[in-house]
Amino acid sequence: MNTVPRFRSLAPFMLFAVTMSIAICIGMAHSRVPQAKPAYDSAQKLEEGNKLFHARCGYCHLAGGTGTIMLGRRLGKDRALLESRTDLTADYVKKITRVGINGMPPHTRIEVTDSELELISAYITRPASARMQPPLTGATHE
Amino acid sequence: MSLVLPPNVTEKQFQKALDAFAGVVGRQWVLSTEEDRYTYMDIYAPGDADKHTPSAAVGPQSAEEVQAIVRLANEYKVPLWPISRGKNLGYGAAAPNMPGTVVLDLGRMKRIIEVNERYGYCLIEPGVGFFDLFAYLQEHKIPLWMSVPANAWGSVVGNALERGYGYTPYGENTKNICGMEIVLPNGEKIRTGTGAMSNSPNWHLFKYGFGPSWDQVFVQSNYGVVTKMGMWLMPEPEATLGLNMQLPDPDDIGWAIDTLQPLRLNGVLQQNPSIGNSLRVVATRSPRSQWYDGDGALPDDVLRSILDKWNLGWWGVNLRLFGYDEVNQANAKLIKAAFAKHTKQEFEVAKWHRGDPIENSGAGVPTTNPLQIINWRGGRGGHLGFSPVLPAGGEHVLKQFHSTKRRYEEIGVDYYGSFTLFDRYAINVNMMIYDRDDTAMTTKVRNLFKVLVADAAKEGYSEYRTHISFMDDVALSFDYNNHALLRLNEAVKDALDPNGILAPGKQGIWPKAFRGVRA
Repeated sequence: MNTVPRFRSLAPFMLFAVTMSIAICIGMAHSRVPQAKPAYDSAQKLEEGNKLFHARCGYCHLAGGTGTIMLGRRLGKDRALLESRTDLTADYVKKITRVGINGMPPHTRIEVTDSELELISAYITRPASARMQPPLTGATHE
Repeated sequence: MSLVLPPNVTEKQFQKALDAFAGVVGRQWVLSTEEDRYTYMDIYAPGDADKHTPSAAVGPQSAEEVQAIVRLANEYKVPLWPISRGKNLGYGAAAPNMPGTVVLDLGRMKRIIEVNERYGYCLIEPGVGFFDLFAYLQEHKIPLWMSVPANAWGSVVGNALERGYGYTPYGENTKNICGMEIVLPNGEKIRTGTGAMSNSPNWHLFKYGFGPSWDQVFVQSNYGVVTKMGMWLMPEPEATLGLNMQLPDPDDIGWAIDTLQPLRLNGVLQQNPSIGNSLRVVATRSPRSQWYDGDGALPDDVLRSILDKWNLGWWGVNLRLFGYDEVNQANAKLIKAAFAKHTKQEFEVAKWHRGDPIENSGAGVPTTNPLQIINWRGGRGGHLGFSPVLPAGGEHVLKQFHSTKRRYEEIGVDYYGSFTLFDRYAINVNMMIYDRDDTAMTTKVRNLFKVLVADAAKEGYSEYRTHISFMDDVALSFDYNNHALLRLNEAVKDALDPNGILAPGKQGIWPKAFRGVRA
């Protein structure tokens, strides 16, 4: 995972860029430019996914959690924290959530609905451009 | 997972039942795909998950929807297995005892209806998890503490109904139940205690009502679906004081129990401390392969070298005093003096005062980290707990410990045990950790479990709770007067639930309709 340190070193710039792009999108949405709406929606969806991830997966998958510890042992520390992974696909996240893996039990469609899982997997697999935002809800949910 | 139908139900009848359920809860909340069925199976089962396959699940959102589903289940003769959040890990998780049963998943009912600071209680629905209630109390800065089990992923209501326990002075969770709302097998809704008055302010204050007291009848039973529960919470104390000690030798647990029991009984120690062997620390921190790859159980000398390396004793004793600082200090003095008669070691002391971070307080702070142990054997881990109740006396504890450890070694499983001391009894949780993909190992573990149930029964001990695969074994060990109690339980079952639609086989109680299924 060479990509992680590289992004990290770009963090200050990326944070600025993402913040600006959101500001622009919001600004555009307010000025009712129709093309801008999907971008705003997508930022909002990522934020919803972020919140859901903390609420439903955070029991085990935040720093210090049992899932993070298990993944660290199996795959190494740089792949332990799901939020920082860049090698997962949305389909994989969805499948593993449903059927479980190793010590992780399956999750029913009542515990995490399909639409919630859609948002969670979109958040986990968010593009690099959306990664450097400070986690807005992380601190309070931990 | 192919579809397994409930006994005596045709596929057509079953589909009609699911359609009828969907009419109540909406199609989205009837879960009947192959993958859905898989998600309700016992992932950690000791090799026999297919004996407990659900046919579908249905998720109501209110007591009224539960009533409607229960009535339809009677109409279509489709049995239901109620779960709160389905996290009864190590005991069957969300899976029903009888194959083909439809899981009644109450996970969507997660309202925290009331938290009363003045009188120290909450009124909650079954879907409320320990994490949810904790977050609520923190967010609203309510100085009430929960009693939380080791692995806190599950439901507050579900855990109390299974007689789970935590480690504060309110540690016997089932004792904290005060007033419930229940849907009976015929679909009727009742409230227990003074909740049976339409206007009583005492529902969650006074447990008994007038006449027979019913709350405990619905605990570990299949007589109704609990849709709301009143539960007492502990006022935050001014301070706590932790006393921790590592005991070097296996037999030290004998005097430790005998020293603590009178202190527990006379109230010097108000919580139920857990004395666990250090394998639970080792298994949380590391995989077995790091230490040993040979055949058989982890040899004593290998374990000893791990313990030495990590500065652990054979057992860890963790006590905690809750209350006013001065009272805690005085009680700590008494405990230290009692221990000084047996050891020169001093307790490690951990102090907490109101306002310090709650994580260090000994309050019930939910975590799922104890699940870490299932990684111990490698592969896809599984775990199972054998948990007999015995008198809180050193001689009983020592005998049980040695005989269980011997049984573990006979089949090559690492001994992992703890004794939680209550005022008059101790619960001895013996964890079996296995690799689910190793069929020989899971078979051995399953057999070991049955042997341990039989060994315990010879001593007159039963488990306080068990995995769905062993409910009949434990129920049948209650043999006084030709199983008179089981016959009473089943007579009540048949009276309340003539079609046997609620949780057949739960705690070994089989309704007439399915009594032939009993193992």
